[in-house]
Amino acid sequence: MSHPVTTNPLIIMLINMTVVFLVLTALGLVINLIHMIDPTRPKETKREEVLPAEPAAVEPAPVAEAAADEKGISPEVVAVIAAAIASYGYGVEQIRAIRPIQREGWKNSGRMRLSNRRS
Amino acid sequence: MELLNAFVVSLQAVWADSGFSAFEAGNGIMILVGLVLLYMAIVKEFEPLLLGPIAFGCILANFPRTGFLEEPGLMQAIHYGIANEIFPPLIFLGIGAMTDFGPLLARPVTLLLGAAAQIGVFVALVGAMLLGFNVQEAGAIGIIGGADGPTAIYLSIQMAPHLLGAIAVAAYSYMSLVPLIQPPIMKLLTTQKEREVTMEQLRPVTKFERVCFPIVAAIVISLLLPPIASLLGCLMLGNLFRESGVMDRLSDTAQNSLCNIVTIFLATGTGMTMNAHDFLVPQTLMIIGLGLVAFIAGTAGGVLFGKIMCRVSGWKINPLIGSAGVSAVPMAARVSQMVGMKAKPGNYLLMHAMGPNVAGVIGTAVAAGTMLAMLK
Repeated sequence: MSHPVTTNPLIIMLINMTVVFLVLTALGLVINLIHMIDPTRPKETKREEVLPAEPAAVEPAPVAEAAADEKGISPEVVAVIAAAIASYGYGVEQIRAIRPIQREGWKNSGRMRLSNRRS
Repeated sequence: MELLNAFVVSLQAVWADSGFSAFEAGNGIMILVGLVLLYMAIVKEFEPLLLGPIAFGCILANFPRTGFLEEPGLMQAIHYGIANEIFPPLIFLGIGAMTDFGPLLARPVTLLLGAAAQIGVFVALVGAMLLGFNVQEAGAIGIIGGADGPTAIYLSIQMAPHLLGAIAVAAYSYMSLVPLIQPPIMKLLTTQKEREVTMEQLRPVTKFERVCFPIVAAIVISLLLPPIASLLGCLMLGNLFRESGVMDRLSDTAQNSLCNIVTIFLATGTGMTMNAHDFLVPQTLMIIGLGLVAFIAGTAGGVLFGKIMCRVSGWKINPLIGSAGVSAVPMAARVSQMVGMKAKPGNYLLMHAMGPNVAGVIGTAVAAGTMLAMLK
């Protein structure tokens, strides 16, 4: 067994913590580099396109009224959504509106899952 | 008469060769310790897959005259696997195959939390040296704070093999007690406002990133710290099995059959180092105390660094995920989730905490490698 470089515990702590931080920082840079050169990375702009436009300001309204404003949302669906939100600790009065939005993510995910199952 | 004499002489010979004639009080105490550990593993379910074989190995190690370590056989082969650092890297192969580095790849800044939590290792090292342990022993004791069993065993074997039993038992015991040790420290060091911080959803990580990371990380870390190349190399190889998508059979073997087999050998062999002669010394109590200090300091270091990152990021990082930097995968991440949910129902921190959690595994291995390079 060779001799230790130092036996001063504070110096050991300082050097070791510095090395740990440097190595993990280097690893972080490597991760960022991999992300940057990733040829399969989805374009950021595409993501923005998928996102819905800024929702218009909606006056606070009772849940039932909000549902009544939107065509195609039954009171049962409103009740289910309100209950799900309430289970996360939010009050029903905090729900301003329930609106269907055009987002293809779930639909596409379901389609992909079905097609993967077939293959 | 002659028959009676022969019978008595034979009985005397059997008694003289039996374990009872060489049985000492210390062996009795250690068998009791083994039974208590078995109780904790089976009844209390504290890390039963590890504590169970460790406890039984402890009982086996305290039967006199078994010649387990002197004569060729299974027990000697198991000891060979531990003494020559064969089993810890194989366990890391399985851990790599089970680990999802996705949360870390999605938010690499959490690597710093895994680094900050390593302060526990060095606080315990300082404490151990103040208590009179030499620098190699102190390094091996300190690594308990990394909350990573295989790394603790790997380092102990190389720096202080006579303390292996106490260090392994302390490391695995405290790992199982993470849900009891961490929450009070996390609550003490954070405000309600900090605990309520909601983090943004992680970005999706591509397969390219998942496949490249283990390869590049193995190259970078092995070149920087060759003493831990076998540990980190196996971790990354196991992860490559998982992420490549074309080595499913190897991934399955690494994370199930192989990992289970090696766990049996490693844990039983570790328990077999707990013989009365090496374990029943005052240093064991000191090691157990220092292990607790290491865990507390590591948790505090991660949370305090999390508070800094919370401010720097503009309240986008919840400091509670810092405590997950002490490895103990995935228990420490679950604790972050649990404390976060108590502060704000619906605030899911689990995936965010997995980043520092797996960073802690790498951080502990890096700390071990640095100590091996500096102190061995």
